[in-house]
Amino acid sequence: MGWTMRLGGALAAAMMLPVAAMAQEPLRIGVPTALTGTYADLGSQVKRAIAFAAAEANAAGGIDGHKVEVEYLDTEAKPDLARRQAEKLALQGNKVLIGAIASGEALAIAPLLARWDALYIATTNKSDKITAEACVPRMFRVNRPDSSDAATMAPWLKGRSEETWAVMAADIAWGRDVAASFGKAAAAQGKKVVLENFSALGTNDFATYIQKIKDSGAKGVWVALAGRDAVNFAMQAKQAGLLDSATVAGVSFVTDNTVASIGDAAKGVAGIINYSSTLDNPANKAFVAAWEKAYPGTTPTNFEGETYIAMQVLFQAVKAAGSVKAADIAKALPGRTYATILGDQQMRREDNQLVGPNFFGVVEVFDGKLRPVVKMSVPAETATVAPSPACKIAG
Amino acid sequence: MIIHILNGFVYGGLLYLVAIGLVLIFGIRQVVNFAHGSLFMLGAYVGYAATAIAGFWAGVVAATLVLAILGLLLDRAVFRPLQDQDPIVTLLVTFGLLLVIEDLVRTVWGKDTLTIAMPDLLSGTLRIAGEDFPVYRLFVILVAAGMGAGLTLWLKRSRIGLYVRAFASDPLTTGTQGVDTERVSAAVVALGAGFAGLAGIIAGPLLALSPAMGGSILIESFIVVVVGGFGSFSGAFVAALVIGQLQNLGIVFIPSFSTMIPFLLMMLILLWRPLGLTGRAA
Repeated sequence: MGWTMRLGGALAAAMMLPVAAMAQEPLRIGVPTALTGTYADLGSQVKRAIAFAAAEANAAGGIDGHKVEVEYLDTEAKPDLARRQAEKLALQGNKVLIGAIASGEALAIAPLLARWDALYIATTNKSDKITAEACVPRMFRVNRPDSSDAATMAPWLKGRSEETWAVMAADIAWGRDVAASFGKAAAAQGKKVVLENFSALGTNDFATYIQKIKDSGAKGVWVALAGRDAVNFAMQAKQAGLLDSATVAGVSFVTDNTVASIGDAAKGVAGIINYSSTLDNPANKAFVAAWEKAYPGTTPTNFEGETYIAMQVLFQAVKAAGSVKAADIAKALPGRTYATILGDQQMRREDNQLVGPNFFGVVEVFDGKLRPVVKMSVPAETATVAPSPACKIAG
Repeated sequence: MIIHILNGFVYGGLLYLVAIGLVLIFGIRQVVNFAHGSLFMLGAYVGYAATAIAGFWAGVVAATLVLAILGLLLDRAVFRPLQDQDPIVTLLVTFGLLLVIEDLVRTVWGKDTLTIAMPDLLSGTLRIAGEDFPVYRLFVILVAAGMGAGLTLWLKRSRIGLYVRAFASDPLTTGTQGVDTERVSAAVVALGAGFAGLAGIIAGPLLALSPAMGGSILIESFIVVVVGGFGSFSGAFVAALVIGQLQNLGIVFIPSFSTMIPFLLMMLILLWRPLGLTGRAA
């Protein structure tokens, strides 16, 4: 009896071993993001937020005991390279992918996620396609899509007196999406888009585009440029007098880093603000305080805030799944409500879109520093438009 | 339309300042310098640092001098030792240099985009053809034109210019005539790098600074050099102006194809005159 007891105990212990080992298995995150190129500035913000969240989690003993490990690879914001780098990360075992910059990158990664047994969380990718015709069960989005920005911009546009508008957008999926949604919103308000400019990613000189806007007679300009393109355009528009002669507003244009780069020229520029460190809620205040301690002299930018939300959602999903395996996390993610720095937000089952609020604001001095300040909040149910029927992942 | 043409001259002028450095270095050392875009970028960052301390004009002097000195060092440490190697070796080394310089800048100044404030003297606008045109943009055109004229005079009228032209067309004979070709080469590489530094700081108030800023302008400058004819000083000038204009007018009239225009032009020139607009067979 004694030996059978001992054998039974040994067998039980052996059976427990994988469970114990799994408990120690790290949560391995792969970040295929733009570390060089036009969007390197955005990539470095994504990287900083992920590193911050991972360090914070590890300092607290990991996520349910799972240490958080992160690998980064440069995509230069190019879809083909993003697909190759994401594959490399996934094949190395970093199957929780997060943080590519351009929408085209997410769209290139999405069809291959099931093959890699990976999942992808979008934190800055805005194209509506990601949660519509291109949606897949393994792809999730925490940031606000173009349709949300359009829904937030529409009430602002309604109150504007400018009747003629020009669009200045990056010639990528996101820029085209923004131009289309702005055109629809303008038409609905009886306003006219008299010019659409699409510039190549990494454009150095916007002078000709700016002159075309001036020649068009547009009284307002809606801008969908990010990173270095946004800074180049803003600087040159100021020099050519466009910022003074027309109303210039935009999406991803009024960001903390753009404002920091162009300085006083940004004062008064309005636009969509997807996250602001100035938002007044306890969770955000705690996050900002911890951030300022980790990175003295800085406050989290919009992209850093949105990426941190992705990490909050991911960590809670890992806890709910009781696993760090991508398949288990992907199963646990939809349908749940997550506590985030923008309040409780639900990951919608129909299209894997996190349902959250959106904001509109203006660049002004806040706490002695020039930054985007929220002037209008749009609640989650209005800001996140209904799921597209083109996405058929639910059920 | 006048404003569009002036804007074409501005970008063409910047392209010329970068491309002429490539032409100088290729003409003397037969090196296709992939690191040239990063020299332009480094010039902008050196100018940024000096501007922050002592103002824009100090930035112009510092960027030009520091890059010229770096050019001397590059010639001594890289181009001269590798001059008898397969050209592909030198090309790969310059590509490596590009990566090193970009990483160095990222380490020192970070990845965030930076800007250089315009000097007060040039910060206004002028009324041209009923439109406000930034004075600084006129300044860029003047600098490019001035540098082009100065370089032409130096090459045509000075003794060292004579040596440079002689060396570019027949290095062996020039050496046997008692010309210290190594010193001439070092001076020319320094001049080419100095031009890149000058272009970097001059572009600073127009373009946001980032470690990647040299990439796109290098590609366009290579197109200028190929279209103008490798090693041709006047060809680079004509090609930079033509490409600056075509690209700008392309944005006005056929925006969907504007980014393709320089490449199409290069293809056509290579088919029509494989040695470039002003290139001559050796």
